[in-house]
Amino acid sequence: MNEIIIAADGLSKSYDGKPALRSLRLEVPRGSICGFLGRNGAGKTTTLKLLLGMLRRDAGSIRLFGEPIDSEASSIAARRRVGFVSEDKELYPFMTVDQTIRFTRPFFPGWRRDLEEKYLDLFQLPRKKAVPKLSKGMRTQLMLVLAMARGAELLLMDEPTGGLDPAMTEDVLQILADLAASDGTTIFFSSHQLAEVEQICDRVCIIDQGQVVIDGVLDDLKSEYRRILLVFDGTPPRELADLAGVDHLRCRGRTASLLAHGDVDGLVDRARELGPSSVEVRPVTLKELFLDHVRGE
Amino acid sequence: MLWYKAWLETKWRFVFLVGSILFVWLTPEWITATGVHSGVPAARLWMAIQLGSVFLFIFTAIFLAGSGINTQGAYTFTPGFHGSMLFTLSLPVSRRRLLFVRAGLGALLTILLIAIMAGYILHLRPEATSALQALAYFTRVIACTMAVYALSVLMACVLDEMWQFTGAFIFWTALFLVQSKFDWVARVSPLRGMSLNCYPVTAPIPWAPIVASLVFAGVLLCASVLVVQRKEY
Amino acid sequence: MNLRINFSSGVPIYQQLMEQIKHAVETGAIRGGEQLPTIRKIAEELTMNPNTVARAYRELEHEGLIEVRHGSGAYVAERGASTSKAAGIRKAGEVLRAAMGQGLALGLSESELRRVFEDGLSRLQDDAAAERRGN
Repeated sequence: MNEIIIAADGLSKSYDGKPALRSLRLEVPRGSICGFLGRNGAGKTTTLKLLLGMLRRDAGSIRLFGEPIDSEASSIAARRRVGFVSEDKELYPFMTVDQTIRFTRPFFPGWRRDLEEKYLDLFQLPRKKAVPKLSKGMRTQLMLVLAMARGAELLLMDEPTGGLDPAMTEDVLQILADLAASDGTTIFFSSHQLAEVEQICDRVCIIDQGQVVIDGVLDDLKSEYRRILLVFDGTPPRELADLAGVDHLRCRGRTASLLAHGDVDGLVDRARELGPSSVEVRPVTLKELFLDHVRGE
Repeated sequence: MLWYKAWLETKWRFVFLVGSILFVWLTPEWITATGVHSGVPAARLWMAIQLGSVFLFIFTAIFLAGSGINTQGAYTFTPGFHGSMLFTLSLPVSRRRLLFVRAGLGALLTILLIAIMAGYILHLRPEATSALQALAYFTRVIACTMAVYALSVLMACVLDEMWQFTGAFIFWTALFLVQSKFDWVARVSPLRGMSLNCYPVTAPIPWAPIVASLVFAGVLLCASVLVVQRKEY
Repeated sequence: MNLRINFSSGVPIYQQLMEQIKHAVETGAIRGGEQLPTIRKIAEELTMNPNTVARAYRELEHEGLIEVRHGSGAYVAERGASTSKAAGIRKAGEVLRAAMGQGLALGLSESELRRVFEDGLSRLQDDAAAERRGN
């Protein structure tokens, strides 16, 4: 079942003349857990808001569950199948935990009372407590419960583990893994925690300055990318930058560090022709992949 | 459940208003002053009462108005950064419905309080009031207050809480000034329409401000819907 | 099965999982014909992505190491090769233990013996690395 749950193409959005998203292209298949990485201001929250109809796009197309969400009616139909966690985790200040849950339940016919109970117990949220009295971590947990217990087919989350301690984070990741495994829930979330993305995501999407720079299966990316370290007797030759397959090049002194992609062996051969005194090929971690693509050197 | 949320949102404001009204009307001076025994010119007192009532009508309408989406408390003045707004908007509900429920509940509560106040004012009136006169008074007071209410709903769609009050205050003050200069404005003004000073109970029912107020309210409500549907959050 | 994944490694996770399952089969921790844990169980235990687990299982099935039976789950394939690998490990253990006995008989203490082994291992690693570079 390779149904594409989120399909965005040529998506563009500007605020006051400043572009936030430039022709963004995104595809997330059903059942995948996709990590959405990017620096602050790269366009992550804008993308999520566009998917939910909170913002109107300037150009491009968006399809959720295969259907366009252009009209408010179609957006509402899609939202019935989506769970959302916002970045600042704000809920109604005039409600208690219980009231917030009771308020949200009727909107979703597929609401899972069993999951609601399970998660509330797991997080030990005090049901009669008013929302403003909750700590940031608890508000996050409440918002997670609201999103994860509604029987949604798609979860869109903006930093879902922000403010949670490592034990709670692990609990949340377990729940997400379980939802993906048992219900085929598709999960698309933005995060600054590379470690948790590496742990739970099968796909990763890196956005920089409004454009997607990497989008694919994480394990495949680890297979396709390699770091090649070359040491030369003098300054590394300029021709290195022109070699096909070099995504990123950094030279320091006599050492050249290449982020290579694709035909790595062929690239190593061509690099050898330039006469390095030492050649080393290493695997690449997600952190390296991320930093090299967003720090623009 | 939207009605439930709207109620929770407005509950304390409603209670506050009820309390204020009770406080104002039950203050002993009022009670003794409106008694038949005092020799104070009833006319003067009467004017004071209904002027105060106009103010209360307006304040009630402004205080209870809301848009259903900007639900953060008056803690922040920055427009557009209310997280709970994002939660609301992520729900599978149309923005128009969010507006209608919240504005609708606020309107019902406003009418309820206005009716109570209007009833009490008539009760305080030295002369007796016929049923028809009472009905006329109720009608015009409610219609004119709805104009005030609708403007505040629009303010709530566009501005933050503190600025909603300021915006409404500015508008009605401006109208007050304008109506004293321009006769045609005075003839349709809701402020005058709800005032017993301008239209005593014995006067014929003033259709002009009633119709103008309802039209004004209708237009502003449509404007509010359009604003809320187009806005980016 | 005692599975441990290094999520930050540059080695794809499904490959790590495959290696670990293969190792479990080779050492006899799980034998031919026995049922493997469900995808969901492994994903839950390791708190990892179920699609990645599924991929590892698919690859292992492709390589013939496991069989997926519809409705009942994944089972280790019954193959002679796996048992011979286990036997190989046993044989190597015997050879090494014999050499260790000889070392002790020659007068080495246990800590000296350990140092000789570690030295030998690192020399083997260096040789392998040098070979790779020279290539």
